[in-house]
Amino acid sequence: MEKENMLKNFVAGIKSVGKSIANGFSSFFSNFVKGDIITKISYFIMGFGCLARKQIVKGLLYLGVQIAYIYYMIQTGSYYIMMLTTLGTQSQGEVWDEELQIFKVVQGDNSMLLLLFGVISVCITIGFLMVYVMNTKTAYKNQCLLKEGKKLPSFKQDWKDLWDKNYHITVLALPIGMTFLFTVLPLIFMILMAFTNYDKNHQPPGNLFTWVGLENFQKVFGGNPMWGETFSRLFVWTIIWAIFATFLNYLFGMLLAILINRKGVKLKKMWRTIFIITIAIPQFVSLLLMSKLLHDQGALNNLLLDLGWISSYIPFLTNATYAKIVVIVINLWVGIPYSMLITSGILMNIPADLYEASHIDGANAVQQFFYITLPYMLHVTTPYMITQFVGNINNFNVIYLLTGGGPLSLDLYQAGSSDLLVTWLYKLTVNEQNYALASTIGILIFIICATLSLITYNKTSAVQEEDTFS
Amino acid sequence: MKKLLALLLAAAMVLGLAACGNTNDAPADDNAGEEKTVVTLKVWAAQDDQDMTKGMIDEFIAANPDKEWDITLAVVGEPDAKTKYLEDPAAAADVFAFANDQLRDLVAAGALYKVTRNAEDVIARNGEGAVGAATLDGQLYAYPMTADNGYFMYYDSSVFTAEDVQTLDGMLAAAEAAGKKVFMDVSNGWYIASFFLGNGGTLAIDANGNQTCDFNNANGLATAEAIKAFTAHPAFITGDDTVLTAGIQDGTIAAGVSGTWNADAISTSLGENYAATKLPTFTVAGAQVQMSSFGGYKQIGVNSQTKFPVEAMDLADWLTNEANQVKRFETRALGPSNVNAAASEAVKSNVALAALSLQSQFAVSQNDVLGAYWTPAEAFGTTMEAKDYSTDLQTLLDTMVAQITAAQ
Repeated sequence: MEKENMLKNFVAGIKSVGKSIANGFSSFFSNFVKGDIITKISYFIMGFGCLARKQIVKGLLYLGVQIAYIYYMIQTGSYYIMMLTTLGTQSQGEVWDEELQIFKVVQGDNSMLLLLFGVISVCITIGFLMVYVMNTKTAYKNQCLLKEGKKLPSFKQDWKDLWDKNYHITVLALPIGMTFLFTVLPLIFMILMAFTNYDKNHQPPGNLFTWVGLENFQKVFGGNPMWGETFSRLFVWTIIWAIFATFLNYLFGMLLAILINRKGVKLKKMWRTIFIITIAIPQFVSLLLMSKLLHDQGALNNLLLDLGWISSYIPFLTNATYAKIVVIVINLWVGIPYSMLITSGILMNIPADLYEASHIDGANAVQQFFYITLPYMLHVTTPYMITQFVGNINNFNVIYLLTGGGPLSLDLYQAGSSDLLVTWLYKLTVNEQNYALASTIGILIFIICATLSLITYNKTSAVQEEDTFS
Repeated sequence: MKKLLALLLAAAMVLGLAACGNTNDAPADDNAGEEKTVVTLKVWAAQDDQDMTKGMIDEFIAANPDKEWDITLAVVGEPDAKTKYLEDPAAAADVFAFANDQLRDLVAAGALYKVTRNAEDVIARNGEGAVGAATLDGQLYAYPMTADNGYFMYYDSSVFTAEDVQTLDGMLAAAEAAGKKVFMDVSNGWYIASFFLGNGGTLAIDANGNQTCDFNNANGLATAEAIKAFTAHPAFITGDDTVLTAGIQDGTIAAGVSGTWNADAISTSLGENYAATKLPTFTVAGAQVQMSSFGGYKQIGVNSQTKFPVEAMDLADWLTNEANQVKRFETRALGPSNVNAAASEAVKSNVALAALSLQSQFAVSQNDVLGAYWTPAEAFGTTMEAKDYSTDLQTLLDTMVAQITAAQ
């Protein structure tokens, strides 16, 4: 039932987007057919529909955009868009300079810069097309307004509207522009790398890299057994880690909060403060300290050896299984205060009469927990847990600072037993310069996270029974 | 009307200012034309070498007054040079020091200018090994700077006799008897190779540019057995440099395989008992086999992206000349690659450098080792150190070699 609904919504969403695009296209052409000569000319000379109808500033702005775009395309844009197909053909060369007695290096094409500027040029083109379509619409709208005998809005009027009727455009322009520039554009650039062979053998500026299509994905899913094996094993461990790290933290944090929140407990504020103090120390400091403490020759092992409790050191971080347990346990220590903080706030909000009523009905503490506390908690905190879960899938700090992904294993490609997908990605870029594979892994991690969180989020009671709690 | 007038006046004023600006600018431009061209160079050197390198650069500037120099110095250690370089070649230093194991990758990335200016002199004044380490396919790519990037055995002469340190077994026995440890970072491709290479293992590069490795043959298996026995010995200890220096200081470690960069710390801790020698022999199937090592050098390269190749080469040449190599030895005890500098009495009487030079006859060039080697070798060492014998040695070696030799 739910699934059907979700599917329906999804299909409906796609349909409406498709419809609006199709409408835009059809009106683009029908406007041209229906338009008078001025409107028709403005399909070729931007802003003509405004200029010829005495909207001088607006018309000049449109015209300026067109001239700037054409100038840009002639200057560099068309070159970059053309180079986008090959990502460069001329590799770095050298010529002998007799006078200086050196091989002068002749710079070749730089695939990375070509890709970057190519993406920028394409984006500029898309932006230009949007302005262009806007221009044709304005021209047609002006024509219609004149036909109806209405006055065209002056530039002053348009400007005023931006601060009044169209204020949302003014306010949103900057954030959207920034998001596009600093998030979307780099994202496109990096996603595209997954479809190239940008690794240490194809390193600009000395060498070129080029498009390889879906080869990297194919390699991860079996084409390269080593990559595939590493990916699947790290994926399984990543999920196990995320489940433990999320639910154990949540569970223990909640139990701690309930314990402190109990009626008989004195000095509640002091206990809470003590647990919160761990937050005061930056996470990476405590993690690095822990890593030193648990080292094979670290303080803990030495202490146990001196006490005679163990005869040889315990490989906390150098044995695959121990290391995995250690990171989960240490993460508990780091994470419990946070979940305690969040849950105790909610605990105090549960109406006391619920407990009193259940007490009269003869419910014991365990029943109260499962029938009142837990449902209430889950209702409020499931979205929080989902973000925690996704956050843990990408929990770089704990793994990297504690074990560094170690111990290394011969069964894995450039990875250790406790490596998450995201720390593997880091090693691939920083140590191996295998940007193509790293980008591929990044895309796969995104798909996993997005799917998991969308499905679970839509299933939560917080979404399905919005505004209700009974 | 008034408004218009004000606007015009303002415009006139701006124009006037701009005109003034222009007239003032013009002579300045002429001056610049007469001035010497400014050569902007960026140099990378290790954190500990900053002051020393700064001094060398200052002398270089003083010795070349015909040009205007703007040389900046940044901290990037030799081991990280390749990684940092590849992050953004255009922003990397024009002149940078790196360890010779990075040469092949740097050349493959088109990162280095070939050394052609003054090349005969560079080749003549440096030791054969150092020049070989800077040469690839017959072409010199870098200026040899030091010849001390290898490893050997430090030991406490109050625990070991000169005879003990000849064999690994002797050392382990003496250390165990004294309740102390012998240190070696076996989970590191650089060190673990000394066993395999010592017992006749080879690393090479085939026609396709892939790594070949025979560590999984019968010899390799016997070597792996020896490594297994070594790591399983109660007197064996592993770790990084901090473990070694701390262990030497508190007396728990009596001997360790390391390089000259730890010489200061170890000699301070051991005092009179400070001693160093070549690596010992180890037992393979009942016979004694000399441990090999990677002969390491540090060298200075010129970035192919530099705007001033000639000046950058002159600077690299200067930084590695005899006088500066002597200076490097005197201030930081770095072993010179320069023949004359290395022949001096002071260098020869340096305990660590003498041990390194003794080991160098068993050392193997690192030029034929590709990046693919390190992680699998480290993983094998990690398995041995963890005493994880769930997989038999032959399978482990086969997996390691398969990973090392996998086509890139």
